[in-house]
Amino acid sequence: MDDEEEQKKLPDLVKALVHNLLSQKLPPNSPPLNPNSPEFQNSLRYAHRILSSHLTPSITPDAASIAESIKRRLATQGKSSEALSFADLYTKFASKATDVDNKWALLHLFNIISQDRKTAAKSQLDASNLLPNLTLSDNNVTRRIDNRGWNDGVLLLAKDPENRRDIAFREFVKLVKEENDVTEEAMVTDVLYACQGVDGKYVKFDSEDDCYVLLDSVRVSRSTRSMVHKLCELGVLFKKVIGYIKQSMDRFPAEDVGTVGQAFCSALQDELCEYYKLLAVLEAQSSNPVPLLCESASSRNYLSLRRLAVWVAEPIVKMRLMADLVEKCRVLRGGAMAGAIHLHARHGDPLVHEFMKRLLQRVCSPLFEMVRRWVLEGELEDIFAEFFIVGQPVKAESLWREGYRLHDAMLPSFISASLAQRILRTGKSINFLRVCCEDRGWARAATEVATDTGATARRGGFGYGETDTLESLVDEASKRIDKHLLDVIYDRYKFKEHCLAIKRYLLLGQGDFVQYLMDIVGPELSVPANTISSFKLAGLLETAIRASNAQYDDPDILDRLRVKMMPHESGDRGWDVFSLEYDARVPLDTVFTESVMARYLRIFNFLWKLKRVEHALIGAWKTMKPNCITSNSFIRLQSTVKMQLVSALRRCQVLWVEINHFISNLQYYIMFEVLEISWSNFLSEMEVAKDLDDLLAAHEKYMNSIVEKSLLGELSQSLYKSLIVIFDLILRFRSHADLLYEGIHELQARITESSLSSRDQKKTRKQLNDKSAEQGSWIADGRKALTQRAGEFLRKMEQDLDAISKEYSSLQEEFISQLPVQQHVDLKFLFFRLDFNEFYRRVVS
Amino acid sequence: MPREIITLQVGQCGNQIGMEFWKQLCSEHGISKDGILEDFATQGGDRKDVFFYQADDQHYIPRALLIDLEPRVINGIQNSDYRNLYNHENIFVSDHGGGAGNNWASGYHQGKNVEEDIMDMIDREADGSDSLEGFVLCHSIAGGTGSGMGSYLLETLNDRYSKKLVQTYSVFPNQMETSDVVVQPYNSLLTLKRLTLNADCVVVLDNTALNRIAVERLHLSNPTFAQTNSLVSTVMSASTTTLRYPGYMNNDLVGLLASLIPTPRCHFLMTGYTPLTVERQANVIRKTTVLDVMRRLLQAKNIMVSSYARTKDASQAKYISILNIIQGEVDPTQVHESLQRIRERKLVNFIEWGPASIQVALSRKSPYVQTAHRVSGLMLASHTSIRHLFSKCLSQYEKLRRKQAFLDNYRKFPMFADNDLSEFDESRDIIESLVDEYKACESPDYIKWGMEDPNNMLTGEGNAAGSLDPKSVV
Repeated sequence: MDDEEEQKKLPDLVKALVHNLLSQKLPPNSPPLNPNSPEFQNSLRYAHRILSSHLTPSITPDAASIAESIKRRLATQGKSSEALSFADLYTKFASKATDVDNKWALLHLFNIISQDRKTAAKSQLDASNLLPNLTLSDNNVTRRIDNRGWNDGVLLLAKDPENRRDIAFREFVKLVKEENDVTEEAMVTDVLYACQGVDGKYVKFDSEDDCYVLLDSVRVSRSTRSMVHKLCELGVLFKKVIGYIKQSMDRFPAEDVGTVGQAFCSALQDELCEYYKLLAVLEAQSSNPVPLLCESASSRNYLSLRRLAVWVAEPIVKMRLMADLVEKCRVLRGGAMAGAIHLHARHGDPLVHEFMKRLLQRVCSPLFEMVRRWVLEGELEDIFAEFFIVGQPVKAESLWREGYRLHDAMLPSFISASLAQRILRTGKSINFLRVCCEDRGWARAATEVATDTGATARRGGFGYGETDTLESLVDEASKRIDKHLLDVIYDRYKFKEHCLAIKRYLLLGQGDFVQYLMDIVGPELSVPANTISSFKLAGLLETAIRASNAQYDDPDILDRLRVKMMPHESGDRGWDVFSLEYDARVPLDTVFTESVMARYLRIFNFLWKLKRVEHALIGAWKTMKPNCITSNSFIRLQSTVKMQLVSALRRCQVLWVEINHFISNLQYYIMFEVLEISWSNFLSEMEVAKDLDDLLAAHEKYMNSIVEKSLLGELSQSLYKSLIVIFDLILRFRSHADLLYEGIHELQARITESSLSSRDQKKTRKQLNDKSAEQGSWIADGRKALTQRAGEFLRKMEQDLDAISKEYSSLQEEFISQLPVQQHVDLKFLFFRLDFNEFYRRVVS
Repeated sequence: MPREIITLQVGQCGNQIGMEFWKQLCSEHGISKDGILEDFATQGGDRKDVFFYQADDQHYIPRALLIDLEPRVINGIQNSDYRNLYNHENIFVSDHGGGAGNNWASGYHQGKNVEEDIMDMIDREADGSDSLEGFVLCHSIAGGTGSGMGSYLLETLNDRYSKKLVQTYSVFPNQMETSDVVVQPYNSLLTLKRLTLNADCVVVLDNTALNRIAVERLHLSNPTFAQTNSLVSTVMSASTTTLRYPGYMNNDLVGLLASLIPTPRCHFLMTGYTPLTVERQANVIRKTTVLDVMRRLLQAKNIMVSSYARTKDASQAKYISILNIIQGEVDPTQVHESLQRIRERKLVNFIEWGPASIQVALSRKSPYVQTAHRVSGLMLASHTSIRHLFSKCLSQYEKLRRKQAFLDNYRKFPMFADNDLSEFDESRDIIESLVDEYKACESPDYIKWGMEDPNNMLTGEGNAAGSLDPKSVV
C-alpha cells in the first residue's frame, strides 16, 4: 500500500479533483480555469486541509455494524426479504472480496449515497454539494485511518506485546478460553440447530423441562448459559409448532383433522418458510468464526450469540404466538378452532394483529365456503364435522324441527348468534323445500341472490373480516328462500285451507256436518270403548260428510279426515275416546306434528262433549216443546194432581232454562272468545309471518290460546273437571226429563182414552145401553187408580228433579265462583256472559 | 239429512208473503226464477236443501205448499215469472174458489173438509225429506182462509206430526185503520188460541208496526202491500240464515228456537231489523259496527211489533230472551265489546227469575245479493210487552162481542151451531191467561206463578169446567 508512486500521485489527484470541482462551479462560456490563480491555490489548500484534517465520521468504522444498521432499516421499512438478501450479499462480499480494502468505508459510502439520494430527491441538491462529502469519506480518509492503526473496524489498540492493555486483553481472552469448553461459534451453531428443533452437540432437548438446555457437563460462563437458554425458547416453540403440523398432516386423512385444521397447518407452514429463510442466512453467517478480542477476524460477518438474539427477536414473537395458538387449538377443530384463533386476533400490537388477520383469512376460508354453500345450495359440505350447523338423519316430518341444529361449540365467536340462526334457517329452508316439498324453485331464488350480491357470492369470494358481506349475503338469501318457502307452503300445499279445514272439522266449525255426525255416531258411542268398531265409525263419518255441506269440500281435504279412537282404559265409554283426526301429510306435518294433533284431538273431544250436551238439551226441549204441553188437556185430573203436574213441569222447565243458558253461553264463549278470536289473530299473524319459524310460532300461539281459553290448560284443570261433572249431571237431567214427559204423555193418552169412553158412555146412555154403563163404572174405578198412580209418579219425579236441581246449583255455583279468580282474563268474559242479567249476583246476595 | 222445513202458505196474505220469501231465497242462493242454479252460483257454503229439493232435472223446487180457498193470488203466482219454480202438485185451490168470506169459521170448516187432500200433500212432502225438522206456516190472523184454515192445519199438524216443530209467521192486522174486515177481532181471537196451543213458535208480524216502519223509517207516505211484504220477506229470510249457512251454532230450527222459548206458552217472538230498506231502494252505504247494529235492534222504532203499552207498563216490560242474527263481514272480536257496552248502559231489561243474555249468531251473507250495507242484523226476541198486543185483540173482541155483532155468520158452521159460543169464551180465557203469564214473567216470582191459584192454570182451560177440550171436538 505504501507505494512511492502512489504517494506521489496523490497531490496530483487532489489537484485534478479541485480543478474538476471548481470548473463545475464556473458559469458556462467563461475562460478555462487557471491552475495558478490564487483562487485555485486557495481551494487546493482548503482541500488539503480537509483531507489532512483529523475529522472522522462520528460512527465506529465497523463494517458489520453498518451492515447491521442497513439491514435493520430495511426490516423496519417492511422489506424483510430485501434485508435477508442484503445480508446474504454482504456475507459474500465480506468473505469473497478479499482484494477490497476499506470494506466498511465502502459500505458507509453506499449507505450515505442511498440516504443522500433520498434527501436529494427532496431538496434537489446538485452533485457539487455531494462531492465534497464524497471526498471526505473517500480513500484519503481511509488512508489516514490506516495510518492511525485502525484496521477493518476492530480497534487493535496495540500491536506491540509491550502494551499493557494488550496484555490484559490477552489474559482476558485466555481466561475466557479457559472458562469456556466450547467456542461461541459452536454454541451459535448449536443454538441454530436447536432453533430447528434438532439437538446439537451441547444443546440438547430436555423432555423433562420441555426446553433446550446446555449440557451441564459443558463449562461455559453463566451469561452464555442463560443466553443460550433464552435463545433456545425459539427452538421449543418451533418444536411445538412443527410437531403440531406434523401430527396433523400425519393423521390426515385417516383421522379428521378437518379442512380448517388443514388450512391452519398450511398457514403455519407458510409462516415457517419465512423462518427457514432466516435460519438459512443465519446459518451461513454462523460459519464465520467469532473473533475474540485479541484476534483479527478472518471474516467480519460473524454471528455471535448476542447478534443472534437480535436476529431472532421478531421471529420469536411470531413463534410464540403460533405456539400459543397451536397449544390452544390442539384439541379444537373446525369452527371452534377459528373461534379460538379469533380470540387472539383482538390485539393492540399492529404486528400481531396483521399476523393474526393473515392467519385467520386462511383458516376461515373453508368455513366461509361452507356457509356459502349452505346458504345458497343447502349443502352441508362438512365431512369433518367442523361446521357450526350439524344435520342428522330424521324423518321428513321432523326435518324442520330436528333435522339441523346449531353446534354451539363450533360457532366461531365472530359470527353472532342471531346471524347463525339466520344461516341455519336459510339452509334448513332449502333442505325442507328439497326434501319435504319436492320443490326445485328454490334454486332460482338462490341464483337471484347470487347475482344480486354479486362477486361475493362466488366461491371463496369473501372471508374473515368481512362479516358485513356475509351478513348481507345471508340476509338476502334468507329473505328470498323464506319467501319462496312460504309461497310453496301457502300456494302449493294450501296451508291456510288445511288450517281452515281443521277448524271446520276438528273444531266443529262446520255445524251441519257436526250435527249429522252427532245424530248418527252418538248412539254408537254409549257402549264401552273397546267394543266399538272404528271401521263402522269410519263409515258413519263418510255418511255424515255425504249428508252435509262437507260433501262440496275439496276431496283432498275430505280424504284426510279420519276417525280416531284415543287410547282408552277399561271403563271408558265411546264418548271418552271418540275423536276425529286430520292427516296433515308431508310437508304440513311439520306444523301439524303428532303432539299438535294430539292437542287438536283433546280440543275436539272437549267440544264434542259440549256438543253432545247441547244436543241432549235440545232433544229434551223437543219433548217439552210448546205444543206438546199446552195443547194437552188435564182437566179431568184432580186439582191436587194437577198442581203436582204444573209444579213438576215448571221445575223441569226452569231447570232446563238455567242449564241451557249455561251451556249455550259456554258455547258462545267458545265460539267468539276462543275459536273465532284465536283464528282471526292467527290469520293476521299468518299474514306477517316471514319464515316457517314465524308460521310455526303463530300456529303454536293459536293452539295455546285455544287450549288455555277452553279450560284445557294446566291452570284450569279443576275447572275442567267440574265442567265434566256438570256435563254428566246434565245428561242425567235429560233422561229424567224424558222420563217425566213420557209419563205425562202416557197419562194424557189414558185421559183421552177415558174421556173418549165417557163420551161413548154419554152416547150409549142415551141409547140406554146397559153394557156400556158397566164399562163406565169400570173406567171410573180406573180413573181413580190412574189419578193415584199419576200422583205418585209426579211426586217421585219432582223429588228427583229437586235433587238434580240442587246438585246442579251447587256445581254451577262452584264453577262460577272459580271463574273470576282465574289467571286467564278471557275466562272473566265467560263469567260476564253467564251472568249477563246479574241473576247469579242477585241469587248470591 | 238436511233438517228440511216445509213451508205452508195459507190464504191471500200467506201466499203473498210466501212468494216474497221464495223470491228472496232464490236470489240469495243464486237460483233462477225457473229453479235452475245460476252459472255464477258456484261459491257453495250454503245449504239449499233445507228449503229446496232437487228434482231429477236439476231444478231446485221449494218445499212449499200453496194453499188458498180462492184462486186470485195463486193464479197471480202461476202467471208470474216464478210460475215454474213451484211444484204444481203442491198448489191447492178449492174447487169452488169462493174463498172463506173473511170468516174464520168458514175457513176452519173448509179446512176440515179438504183435510185429506192437504194432508196427502203434506205427507208426500214429509216423505220426500230425510229428517224433517218441522213446518213453517205463513198466514194472516185476520181474514178467513189464513186464520180459519190455518188454525185447522195447526191443530192437525200438532196431532199428526207431534214430534215436529211448527213455526208460524203470523201477520197481525193493522189496528190503527178501520179494517174492511169487521169481524177481524173474532177471527184474530180464535186464531190466537191455536197459535197459543198448537204452535211451537209464532213470529208476530204486526201490520201496524210494519206500516209505521215503512212510513217513518223508509219515508214512504203510502206503503203498498208489496213494500210491507218485502219487509216481511227480509225478516223471514234473515231469521233462517243460520239454517242456510251452517256455522258453529244454531244450525237447526230447534236449536234456534229452544233458547228463545224457555217457557212453553211464551212462544211469541217479535222481530227487529236494521238497517231497513225496501226492495232495491238505493241507500247510502254506512259503516256499521256490531255495536251499532245491536243497539239499533233494541230500539222500539226498529221493532216490527207495535207497543201499545202505557209508559208505566212499558218500563216494567222485560226481555225473556234475545237472539241477534248478524249478517255480513263482522269482526267476531267486536261481539264481546258490544255486549259489554250494552250492559254498561243498561240498554236491555231482562227477566229476573232466571239467567238470560243476548245471544249473538254471526252468519254469512249471500255472495249473490248486493246490499248497500256491509252489516245487517235481525233480532228475534221474546218480550213481555207483546201481551199488550194480545190485550188489544181482547178488548176489540170484547167490544164486538158485547154488541153480539156479526155472530150469525159463525153460527152457520158446526163449531158454533146451536148458538154454542163456548169456543169464543174458551179462546178468550186462554188469551187472557196468556196475557197473565207474560205479565207474571215481569216479576221475579214467576217460578211460583200459578201455584197458589189453581184456577189460573197452565193450560188455562181448567176453569171452563164441563167444556170440551179441542181434541174431543175434532
